[in-house]
Amino acid sequence: MLFHEVYGSYFRVLEDILCHAAEGTLTGRVLTALVQEKAFAESGLSIPGALNSGNWPLVDANCGTPLRHAPTKPLTTLQRRWMKALLLDPRIALFAPSAEGLEDVEPLFTPDTFVYFDRYADGDPYDDETYIACFRLILQALREKRKLRVRFRGHTGVRHSIVCIPLRIEYSPKDDKFRLLTAGGAKRHVINLGRVRSCELLDVYAPEEAGTAKPRTREVTFLLRDERNALERVLLHFSHLEKETVRLNEHTYQVALRYDKEDETELLIRILSFGPVLQVTAPDSFIGLIRERLQRQRRSEGCL
Amino acid sequence: MAYSELIKSFSRIRDYMRQFYVYGFKSREEYDAKSARSYDNERRRIESWLGEYMSFHQSRDGKHVFLSVDSRRIPSDPLYKAFHAKSFTDKDVTLHFYILDALAEGESLTAGQITDRLEAYLSHFETPFPMDESTVRKKLKEYEALGLLQSEKQGKSLYYRRSTDAVKLESWADALAFFSEAAPLGVIGSYFKERSDHFRFKHHYILHALDSEILLKLLDAISQHRVVELLIRSSRGKDDRVRTICPLKIYCSTQTGRQYILGYSYIGRHPVFYRLDTIKTVTLGSEEKQYDKYMGFWEKFDQNLWGVSTGAEHNIDHIEMTIRFGPGEGFILQRLNREKRHGTVEIIDEHTCRFSADVYDASEMLPWLRTFIGRIEKLECSNRNVAKVFYDDLKRMYEMYGGDDDAVS
Repeated sequence: MLFHEVYGSYFRVLEDILCHAAEGTLTGRVLTALVQEKAFAESGLSIPGALNSGNWPLVDANCGTPLRHAPTKPLTTLQRRWMKALLLDPRIALFAPSAEGLEDVEPLFTPDTFVYFDRYADGDPYDDETYIACFRLILQALREKRKLRVRFRGHTGVRHSIVCIPLRIEYSPKDDKFRLLTAGGAKRHVINLGRVRSCELLDVYAPEEAGTAKPRTREVTFLLRDERNALERVLLHFSHLEKETVRLNEHTYQVALRYDKEDETELLIRILSFGPVLQVTAPDSFIGLIRERLQRQRRSEGCL
Repeated sequence: MAYSELIKSFSRIRDYMRQFYVYGFKSREEYDAKSARSYDNERRRIESWLGEYMSFHQSRDGKHVFLSVDSRRIPSDPLYKAFHAKSFTDKDVTLHFYILDALAEGESLTAGQITDRLEAYLSHFETPFPMDESTVRKKLKEYEALGLLQSEKQGKSLYYRRSTDAVKLESWADALAFFSEAAPLGVIGSYFKERSDHFRFKHHYILHALDSEILLKLLDAISQHRVVELLIRSSRGKDDRVRTICPLKIYCSTQTGRQYILGYSYIGRHPVFYRLDTIKTVTLGSEEKQYDKYMGFWEKFDQNLWGVSTGAEHNIDHIEMTIRFGPGEGFILQRLNREKRHGTVEIIDEHTCRFSADVYDASEMLPWLRTFIGRIEKLECSNRNVAKVFYDDLKRMYEMYGGDDDAVS
């Protein structure tokens, strides 16, 4: 069963509260802090209320508990079966977790049950030893907050070697690729892991060295005409971006999307893919990009 | 009944969350709620779980609530929080902690012995909390079904003990963080505490989380080769439909935000697709003896499938697109080769290539073909309507973006 209280936020917070109670470190302030940090916005009233009223006889008036152990819970069958399924995923080679304890478990699913029919065909090589070694080294650098020297080929084939502070590893299911997001001063780099030739762990960095550079974001606004089920198709397609939709009349909507500047070309062709049901209205620079494509298209047709 | 931020069933909240997240332009009166209070309660719950991602705008029609988040900026899917909000009774929570504590040292106990231990725990409190053995027995069975406990018969008595856990979770922190977002049923990953914060996800359709219960049942049916009865919500808001199929594969789009079940239709006698977000319930039926035969149909079917449409007649369309690329634009060839799902790319000369394919429904390719606008010399299709729609749409776009300076003409 997927939807069950044993996985819920309340049980998880109570587990932490009871850990403190069992260790004798629970106070009213600790309880409030745990609920605020780990539960939902309105749990601040319900959880302490139920404990104090005796409806949940788990903590007494002195913040003690009759429990003899700090609470723990075995994994459920569902959790174990899901983990076993992960062991069949080719990307698990990047992590190599221990399979101990899952030997006799039936996987919840197998990879061949899923067809990712529009995923790009040039995904990263998850069975390549150099790729795996670099991935694990980057993870180690992230865990230990250490700088990295990364040697890679740029998209034009030119060799680069940079010293960077690794921030995150980003994965795209559409590209089936990992990218390393790095920082350092005002600069941010995005490096495709598939292009990395080698990595070298360097020293631990100070938090202030990571800088505060943020991705450059832009906004595009378009009109959406609800023809050919466009409303549902467009809003679902762009649902992973920050957006705001306003209905102008029965069949027309205005959508504002926020995107990273580095993804502008990708966003441009995604908007073009919807044809005339979308009309970009701002900014002028984005309209100019669309016009330029259409002008080139006119010229291409003239080549016939 | 008093309002609670917790919920008993997931189905109603599933629809509200989808509406707030995907659409977000509807006013309170437009929701298909039983009453205005019902809408208010669901909105308040979602706000309690996901307040930091909720916004609203005001118009003449009233207040429009919406959920907006760039999934690239967050380590985990916030919609999973709805799965962490299952309601429970006072007895459920009390039994949970005391049963697991009573068995924490590895001993095996009967339901009666566990009830005695519970009474001892509860005697710590002045307020009486009645607990009978039948309630305890029911909870023990439930926990055995979940896999938290195991039972063993000794003589006439049934003994319960905690399931043994040899899994080394400390070695899983990064894998759990990654697969919670990147694997099917990632919500199960959100049930682990042991997750690192090293990953972010681009092109990440977090909405799939809401269909997890449906997906789990379908996977169960596929693994057991069982027939399923689906209750499907009409996309046009008409009556719900019931369909019986033999489920074969799950088709996931990484670009449209949709997931589908592909199954063999007993009525139509051919493979069919249904979107997971339109399925309200899945009921497992009998085992399908001809499962391998239907899988064989799928293998043949998949060879000419561009997306998830077979067209009305199940005919194959032949399509050809001639593309022009300039010096230093070899990436266009790379794009064609990595993005085409079927067909071939043929180099005509140093600036021109031709993509051709045979697919069930070439109209499904139109969105992808339009991504090459600016480079398409010629588009031809055996289904003439496909090329007509393409060129008619282009004409509309020329007019749309022509502007005062007639820039596109």
